[in-house]
Amino acid sequence: MRHDFLDRYSRLDSPIHRLPTTVKLFGTLCVVASSVSVSFAHFWFFIIVAGLLLILSALTSIPWKFIFGRLILLEPFALGIAVMALFQENGAMVFLSILVKSSLCLFTVILLSNTTPFSKLLQTMKRLGVPRLLVTILALLYRYLFVLIDEAERLNRARASRTFSSNRRKKWHMLASLIGQLFVRSTERAERIYAAMTARGWK
Amino acid sequence: MISAIEIRNLRFKYPDGKDALCGVSFSIADGECVGLVGPNGSGKSTLLLHLNGILPEKYPATPNVVIYGRPMSETTAADIRRDVGLLFQDPDDQLFCPTVFEDVAFGPQQFGLNEEQVRNTVAKALEQTALLGSENRSPHHLSSGEKRRVCLAGVLACEPRVLALDEPTSNLDPRGKRSLIKTLKSIPATKIIATHDLEMVVELCSRTIILDQGAIIADGPTNQLLGDEQLMLAHGLEKPHILRHIHPH
Repeated sequence: MRHDFLDRYSRLDSPIHRLPTTVKLFGTLCVVASSVSVSFAHFWFFIIVAGLLLILSALTSIPWKFIFGRLILLEPFALGIAVMALFQENGAMVFLSILVKSSLCLFTVILLSNTTPFSKLLQTMKRLGVPRLLVTILALLYRYLFVLIDEAERLNRARASRTFSSNRRKKWHMLASLIGQLFVRSTERAERIYAAMTARGWK
Repeated sequence: MISAIEIRNLRFKYPDGKDALCGVSFSIADGECVGLVGPNGSGKSTLLLHLNGILPEKYPATPNVVIYGRPMSETTAADIRRDVGLLFQDPDDQLFCPTVFEDVAFGPQQFGLNEEQVRNTVAKALEQTALLGSENRSPHHLSSGEKRRVCLAGVLACEPRVLALDEPTSNLDPRGKRSLIKTLKSIPATKIIATHDLEMVVELCSRTIILDQGAIIADGPTNQLLGDEQLMLAHGLEKPHILRHIHPH
């Protein structure tokens, strides 16, 4: 199992990787907040932001293919909403606005997550006074995402090794029970994790 | 002298109605190392979860678990947890922090040590488990053996007087197993080890308790119990190879 599909390049060494996490975190927040709030009529603003991001990513030595691949992978989620906008008055402009704004935000977040190890981000958040419970939830999310993917893969492999027909309806049926099984296993694991946390003094 | 662990007539029923423990009593002296063996589903893990008050959800009026003279109750549970370190069966359940350092530091931080004390305790625990230098790695990048050692380090960092280990050698290769046994030998705490690894029991534990269907079947010197082929077979176990050529009588 590849465990690095989220932040494969976060441990590289480049000027951007070496920047303090606080700077990167605030930079990301600024770019995201301003891209969302600045009116699309100020088109020059978005060109400047895009240019800036391109320069930054050139400095990180993360392959372009990876960055744009990620962008194409994630963009459809925003695109779904953007397409809906096409059906209203002046839809084309709104569509373009959502497309550009969401791409810039995603671009920024991809850069952040691939130039900063997640554990460092969490430490910085904790230091900056983000509520402890929220940081803990994020940490657990990141930690168990991989365990969950492994578990799903094992279940799927076990299913595949005993599937002998290519009946599509049966396949969907199997998939449904696999998802249910995964859910049951996760709740049970959550209980055991909580027990392990209390065992070491969590209150 | 106060015994480290004292269990009096402990009963436990799971919510689905299955009897997991039906009246278990024993006591373990300070510094003793005891093996807890028995077939799958005999109640070993359930018993260990009682030692630091994870189970039951509501403590009974007459306490049936006493750790170093302190009966388990709502008010003492937090202190007892500090005394009893529990190593879980699945390392992924126990490693819930983003980095090795943070995970090992979790216990000491919960106990309110200051930053420098935490750093020292963690360094000591990592040294004991031969993990120095892995502080910043993420748990999902570790091998099974390393995960297990980090779990143990996380427990040792709490400086427990009792170590309760649930299947510590499962999923380990022989080398991982050897180094774990070596580490365990070097720790002076009172130990109770639930396991199917009978060779390890022979090596580490002078005394063994055999559990089957929630009841204690036998409690005595390891070599005598594990060497008794009839007894072992009757409870889903087998005489370990090391004892094949030793005759206890």
